[in-house]
Amino acid sequence: MADEKRKSGDENRQNKGRGFNNKKTKGRNGSKKDNREAKRRKGPGLPNALRKELDLLNPTTHPSDGSDSDADVAAPNDVYEYEEGIPEEESKKNKRFDPVENYEYELPEEFEDENVASDDEGNEEGDAVEDEDDGRHSRMLQGITGLPGDAFEAKKENDFVISEAYPESEYNPSHDILEGDGHISIQDLLDPLHGKSGFSKLRKNVNRMEKKSMSLNAPLPRSDQERLERKAAYELSKKDITKWEPLVKRNREAPTIFFNEDTDLGFSTVGAIASEFEPRSDFEKKIASLVNDNEIVDAHRKDGARLLELNKISVEDVKDQQNRLAKMRSLLFRHELKAKRIRKIKSKTYHRLLKKDRLKATAVATEMDPEAAKELAMKQEFKRAEERLTLKHKNSSKWAKRILERGLNVQDDGTRAAIAEQLNQHALLTRKMNSMKESSDESSDEDDSDDILVDSDQDGPSAMLKRAKEKTVEVLEGDGELPKSGVLSLPFMVRGLKKRKEAADEEARLALRDYELSLKQLENKNEEESENLHVSSGRRVFGGTKKQVQESRDKINSDNYYGNSDSEGDLEAMEGVDDGRGQNNDYQRDVNIDPDVLRDESEIGHDPVFKNFEDIVKDPGPKTTYEVAIFASNSWKKMKSSSNVNEQTGVLNEKISDYSNIRDSELKDLDMEGDNAGSDTDSEVQMVNGILSSGPKSTYEQPSQEELIRRAFAGDDVEEDFEKDKDEILNEENPEPEKPTLLPGWGQWTHIQRKKGLPSWMQEEHDNAKKKREEALKKRRDAHLNHVIISEKLDKKAEKLHTKTLPFPYTSKEVFEQSIRMPIGPEFNPATAIGALNCPEVVKKAGVIIKPIKYKDINPHERVEDHGNRRQKQLKSKNKGKSNKEMKSKGLEG
Amino acid sequence: MKVKVISRSADEFTRERSQDLQRVFRNFDPNLRSQEKAVEYVRALNAAKLDKIFARPFIGAMDGHIDAVSCMAKNPNHLKGIFSGSMDGDIRLWDLATRRTVRQFSGHQGAVRGLTASTDGHVLVSCGTDCTVRLWRVPVATIMESNDSSDMSADPLAVYVWKNAFWAVDHQWDGNLFATAGAQVDIWDHNRSQPVNSFEWGKDTVVSVRFNPGEPNLLATSASDRSITIYDLRMSSPARKLITRTKTNSISWNPMEPMNFTAANEDCNCYSYDARKLNEAKCVHQDHVSAVMDIDFSPTGREFVTGSYDRTVRIFQYNGGHSREIYHTKRMQRVFCVKFSCDASYVISGSDDTNLRLWKAKASEQLGVLLPRERKKHEYLEAVKNRYKHLPEVKRIVRHRHLPKPIYKAASLRRIMAGAEKRKEDRRRAHSAPGSRPKEAFRKKRILQEVE
Repeated sequence: MADEKRKSGDENRQNKGRGFNNKKTKGRNGSKKDNREAKRRKGPGLPNALRKELDLLNPTTHPSDGSDSDADVAAPNDVYEYEEGIPEEESKKNKRFDPVENYEYELPEEFEDENVASDDEGNEEGDAVEDEDDGRHSRMLQGITGLPGDAFEAKKENDFVISEAYPESEYNPSHDILEGDGHISIQDLLDPLHGKSGFSKLRKNVNRMEKKSMSLNAPLPRSDQERLERKAAYELSKKDITKWEPLVKRNREAPTIFFNEDTDLGFSTVGAIASEFEPRSDFEKKIASLVNDNEIVDAHRKDGARLLELNKISVEDVKDQQNRLAKMRSLLFRHELKAKRIRKIKSKTYHRLLKKDRLKATAVATEMDPEAAKELAMKQEFKRAEERLTLKHKNSSKWAKRILERGLNVQDDGTRAAIAEQLNQHALLTRKMNSMKESSDESSDEDDSDDILVDSDQDGPSAMLKRAKEKTVEVLEGDGELPKSGVLSLPFMVRGLKKRKEAADEEARLALRDYELSLKQLENKNEEESENLHVSSGRRVFGGTKKQVQESRDKINSDNYYGNSDSEGDLEAMEGVDDGRGQNNDYQRDVNIDPDVLRDESEIGHDPVFKNFEDIVKDPGPKTTYEVAIFASNSWKKMKSSSNVNEQTGVLNEKISDYSNIRDSELKDLDMEGDNAGSDTDSEVQMVNGILSSGPKSTYEQPSQEELIRRAFAGDDVEEDFEKDKDEILNEENPEPEKPTLLPGWGQWTHIQRKKGLPSWMQEEHDNAKKKREEALKKRRDAHLNHVIISEKLDKKAEKLHTKTLPFPYTSKEVFEQSIRMPIGPEFNPATAIGALNCPEVVKKAGVIIKPIKYKDINPHERVEDHGNRRQKQLKSKNKGKSNKEMKSKGLEG
Repeated sequence: MKVKVISRSADEFTRERSQDLQRVFRNFDPNLRSQEKAVEYVRALNAAKLDKIFARPFIGAMDGHIDAVSCMAKNPNHLKGIFSGSMDGDIRLWDLATRRTVRQFSGHQGAVRGLTASTDGHVLVSCGTDCTVRLWRVPVATIMESNDSSDMSADPLAVYVWKNAFWAVDHQWDGNLFATAGAQVDIWDHNRSQPVNSFEWGKDTVVSVRFNPGEPNLLATSASDRSITIYDLRMSSPARKLITRTKTNSISWNPMEPMNFTAANEDCNCYSYDARKLNEAKCVHQDHVSAVMDIDFSPTGREFVTGSYDRTVRIFQYNGGHSREIYHTKRMQRVFCVKFSCDASYVISGSDDTNLRLWKAKASEQLGVLLPRERKKHEYLEAVKNRYKHLPEVKRIVRHRHLPKPIYKAASLRRIMAGAEKRKEDRRRAHSAPGSRPKEAFRKKRILQEVE
């Protein structure tokens, strides 16, 4: 660029000179043709050597010749020619620019155009535009070389230059070969070799190759190649990355993923910690120096002889010691062997004999030394006495009490064993005492638990039977109380208990009969005896049995506590059969004094009291009960409540109110069953009381169904009611707009308003509101359903508890509702289930580095089966402390 | 006859220690408890409110740099260490527990643009606009704690000078290679002064590079020609290029799902892509109101954190269209880099105001050791809240965030603009022949071309 500029500058300069020339030559030149011919005639006069020199001097001239001329040819055609001034760099104005070395040829600054007179150039008239440049150029050359311009004209002929990128060679075929049809075949290349040695061989090879030859495709462009490569790479990496899919899918679907298992605590064992130990204090260092002393360690590792040396003990002593030890060891070993052998003997007799021998030996020892034996016995006796006095081993110590208070079950095995041991000790120490006591006095066995056995010995089977009978009676009687409150007072419970009770009573009655039969048999046998016995020991026995009853009462209570019923019929029936009842009553009278038994007695005596009430109730006569029956039936009340006087009066009161109510409620209580003809009391009586109905109304005709219904609903119009209801609801949900009212003093002051009526805006508003309401009513879902009311009332409080739309992952309302149906709190679920219910989606632990996922081959199909109990499994694995391998991140590997 | 009595042994009800809880027996019959749903709803509501009360995410700021923090790197092997590089060429190693500088690595002449640490945490690699890659030895943790003030600066292990300025660097997981991005993508080995491999696809500057942690031979870059490119080192060739409408500033691979990555875009959104199907984004995460500058996945792979030019940090679910959390402070300026800590419980952001800030990943989380009962209670409240999160009251409380005014206004403006655009599009569709203007999903709309 720079030199181009420079050149154009030069040319400008030349042009100036040439303009002057042209003026001169205009007149002289005859025609263009002549000039050409003249030039041709002159011919290429420039000698070769000179041309070379010229090339050397100005190397750029030659190649740039064509381009220059081209530019100059085009330039005159244009109207405006841009003339570039000398660039500032070159003008070197003020020396602002660094001097740039220019190795190209430059015209000296003081150069001036020389006006060379040329004979034929001057008179060229038609040398207008095209020739101007040529002339200019030749003139320049003339100026430079000093040769006449004609010398350069010949060059114009082969002005056409082919620029080659590479030097011509056999590898780069020259231009004309490419252009023409001069294909170079292998033959051409082989021809020069014709006749040389090995030519035939070469030709053969070439021929063979030609026969089998196949053409290779030209390689693809680089960009296409790369694209294909990338495509292949992408496909491969895509395929490779797909292997993660099952793993990722499983992690995504897992309800919980765990990241907290990969905890590296550093040291896991004591040994590991100890191996890291480094002595710091002086003491530790001293110890370490001793422990790590090579000599000592070596000695340890060997037999220890050197250790002895280090210990400075005489070798003989040590040897003695060792010998002794060895002897002892061998003895022990022998003894052990012997013991083992003996132990291995299976014969029982042998062992028994062995034991006897051993006992004998001890006995002999005591015999031989009576003093010792006595002392031993004394000691034993003293121990026993002490135990008897202090009851030291009978769980009375503070420790034992505390343990027992806490419960033996929660204690560990050792404690339990200790307690058992103590009790054992106590038993051992007191066993002897018992035996001694029995021998001393046998009669006083009141406290003993098995006095019944003793009794039975005395009284014989009759007493036993009697007692059994009494007990049975007790069971039968002891059911007066009814649970008044709690769950057991609920009607169905009562019913169930009653049933059970009846079954039990039945059994008891059967048993009673048996007892009686056998009793009678027995009585026949020994009447007097038994009577005497009865009288003599009666009271005492009775008391005893009373106690017995009291004891066993707990048992009876346990099943009969709830089973009490007011089956007085049963009792009455039993009274007839039971001949022990009189006795029982006597006994009642007897015991009434006794405050102890009073409590129990009140329960047994409940029935008579109850019966009294019953009598009272019954006393007023059949009239009352009859009326009660009528009116109680209306309100679904039964006579069973009539056992209570208060209640009875209540019912009587009720009678009156019911009576007054009947007429009122007739129409309303449509669903009251058994109320066909509610208006007349006679029919009601008939309905309730079957006996009455059969008598006087024998000619009564059954009305048809329609008639009945018509009569039943004679008074009320259901449809109208319904419509009214619907209207009400509609008004409530879409309230009717208020009618605009005229307020005196509002609107206009004068009487005009009254004449005009309501102001128009008010009217309009009212109409609008009405219209709106009608539209709203039309839009209602029950607008076209005449028999249906669908409430569209919005409950604002309930609104808060509903979602407006179905939340995202759910596809149906039911599934969503199901998902929030069961509570998850600790109050509503057992402790074992809470952990799984409340488990967060990601379980991690602060401070544990989570490593990226590591590939693990899993079978994508196996997962389907264990889908249900996956969570459970995870929990299990969590409990075990095993980690989910796929989630477990990479361990440290560096 | 079978006898049934109520029997309770005393030892079942006696406490071993006075601190023990009294044992409570409950009847879990649902018929007896009809109000449990209402009870749990109220608990969920209260839990949501409590979460709001206890939401104090900001833990502390770490100041020390004298120019904007341009990049950060976490130490994959040491939880407390984090490296930060600033625009003035300073690199610092911070101790997160004490929030103090532990070590300074000085040497860069220009801005540090990329930082990364090797997987074992022993070597730190930095690069910057001074055309150098520097390798540093990371001090061992124990030494770091013992003499924190003695030897604050360190000399690099190696300095590799290359011919272009660098924009980003990332280290391969469990490997010896790291990749730098600049005029082209270069793959380096620790021990070689020249890259072992270079990729050039197009002439535009590559601005970010990330290795795939699960699949260590894959890496993704984003360039200033709005493209995201995936490379495969095994084939030593680029694999696929995706050209979007706007530039991607940063990329992060999901560490638990090696096929997925998320790109932080200039257009305020993040786009999650499946590397195998690049013709559409899997999910568009929108909420930011200015260009998203950096993104980093949580190691759990379930959420990621983004830092934006709008001066906020947001946390997104990996599959959520909107952010679950937004963090901002009055003094925090443009956020240039964000990182999730290696235990997924903290977030660190570096911003234009020369500070690093440490945040909790869960704003209302209780720090410190939790007793088992405490933890169970938290879990229960979380579960209940999660169960009733769709109900309007709970939703409102959980979603509510107090925003700085400019962001609030910008967000509403963006909403208006989006609405207007949608309306216009709808009208155009309504007035053109049916089927001639198919509706294009937003996930596809921003993608221009997928180049093979």
